[in-house]
Amino acid sequence: MHISDGVLPISITVGSYAASAALAAWSVRRTRSEELPKVAVVTAAFFVASLIHVPFGPTSVHLLIPGLAGALLGPSAFLAIGLGLLLQSILFQFGGLTALGANALMMGVPALACGVFFQKLKGRSRRRQSLVGGLAGALGTALAALILALLLASGGEDFFGVAKIALAAHIPVILIEGAVSAFTVAFLVRVKPELLAPAFVQGRPRQPELNAPPPEPPDSPAHG
Amino acid sequence: MGDILQIALPAWQFAALLLAPLGLLAGAAAGLRRMLKQRSMNGDNPDWSVPPLADAAGTTLFHRWDVRCKIAALVAYSFLVASLQHLAAALAAVAVSVLALVLARSSLARALMRLLAITGFLAMFLVVMPLSAPAHPGDTVLVVTGVDWLGFNLRGLYKALAIAAKGIAIALLMEPLLTTAPLPVTLHGLTRLGAPDMVGQMVLLSHRYLHVFRHEAERMAAGMRVRGFRKRTDLETLRAVANFLGMLFVRSFERTERVFDAMRARGYRGHFPAPAATRMAAKDLVLAAVWLAVGIGLVIYDRIFWDRIFWDQICW
Repeated sequence: MHISDGVLPISITVGSYAASAALAAWSVRRTRSEELPKVAVVTAAFFVASLIHVPFGPTSVHLLIPGLAGALLGPSAFLAIGLGLLLQSILFQFGGLTALGANALMMGVPALACGVFFQKLKGRSRRRQSLVGGLAGALGTALAALILALLLASGGEDFFGVAKIALAAHIPVILIEGAVSAFTVAFLVRVKPELLAPAFVQGRPRQPELNAPPPEPPDSPAHG
Repeated sequence: MGDILQIALPAWQFAALLLAPLGLLAGAAAGLRRMLKQRSMNGDNPDWSVPPLADAAGTTLFHRWDVRCKIAALVAYSFLVASLQHLAAALAAVAVSVLALVLARSSLARALMRLLAITGFLAMFLVVMPLSAPAHPGDTVLVVTGVDWLGFNLRGLYKALAIAAKGIAIALLMEPLLTTAPLPVTLHGLTRLGAPDMVGQMVLLSHRYLHVFRHEAERMAAGMRVRGFRKRTDLETLRAVANFLGMLFVRSFERTERVFDAMRARGYRGHFPAPAATRMAAKDLVLAAVWLAVGIGLVIYDRIFWDRIFWDQICW
């Protein structure tokens, strides 16, 4: 669920823009600058993944994947999610342009949290990685729903009802998201485990480049 | 001011009051979707799944407006509209947006697509807020005879309608803002306004590869379908979807590496060449000033004039 234009109080709208900008700047700093184009291309893959609908009884839900994005991208996830949301807004009107800051907080903060959660707890065995991946997926969606409800409730007591409904509507998504994340992580462990290593996009050692500025020292890989 | 005004209705009237607008909305949305589907089948652009953002050949006011002025004025105006609080001002903003759509000769189908995208979220407010808004002194609440826990608060409906009108006004404005110049030019304008160069480049790259990966996903989905996969509500479907996702990630991450290497082999050093020179003339600035003045006028109307009328209870 994306927040559309005109819903939140203007102070929250502007404040969340400021907070998102600060987090995005941090996310850029944690990504090696010459690899930012790579984050952009990876974002496109997550964007396409979030368009996939999973049937749920008579209706269907689409995946949000903040948890998976955090697990795969680490600190770059906030940047990727902000970028994806901007594209969703300008292409589909999913989430308004003025609510972009709030939407980025709602999806990006859970992604960062899940990234840390996954990297700290994933262990070595295939089963455990898949389990932790599933938990991260469920946790990411639950956090996103919680932040959404808080943002909506910031409008005053008239909005409490809507906030509760929005929270309840996410419960099936949390379950589905958890299951899909667990299976996806299990698949990746078997097929391409290096994607699950800390921060594929930023941490991978590359050959030194010809006549390019020397790469910045990589950030400590322990963090997400 | 005063006490809560309760108007008791028989149950069937209450139900009709709740269901009629919902039915109308659902019907309108379904009709709109059908219409768009039919139109896209006849047209030469049958694929609406990732709408294009280029209708840049026009010569309207919006097409000729300097892109920096256009972005600054329309985005600032959007924030002003988002800060409105009353229905009358929000409806006036919708009228301004419709005027902008007409002036920019934007595609009606794409504008409707945007409205369709926000319908679900706004409908949630329209349904839930009248029922959940707590009754304050001075409110008018419709209740069912004999049922005291359910009340239809007209103030909640009024607030939800104002939110919906604001959402619609800003959503409609996106077409004149985004489709009257090619995306690279719009992003270049954003950069010239002070946004980091990297933002524009990343949006362009994502937008480009979005289509590539979507085609990849479609090919994979077609492969699954011909092998007999049908989506159902069960764990096996979730497992298949998860493997699908995993495969999409593996393929796209590998492709990302190759794309990046290819870009650097072609001399990419952190920026793309500028798409076009931007020139700002006096009339661009005047237009931006007029647009902002409209926005500020709306806010003043909203805060000063409308408040008095609203609290005098003339509207209800």
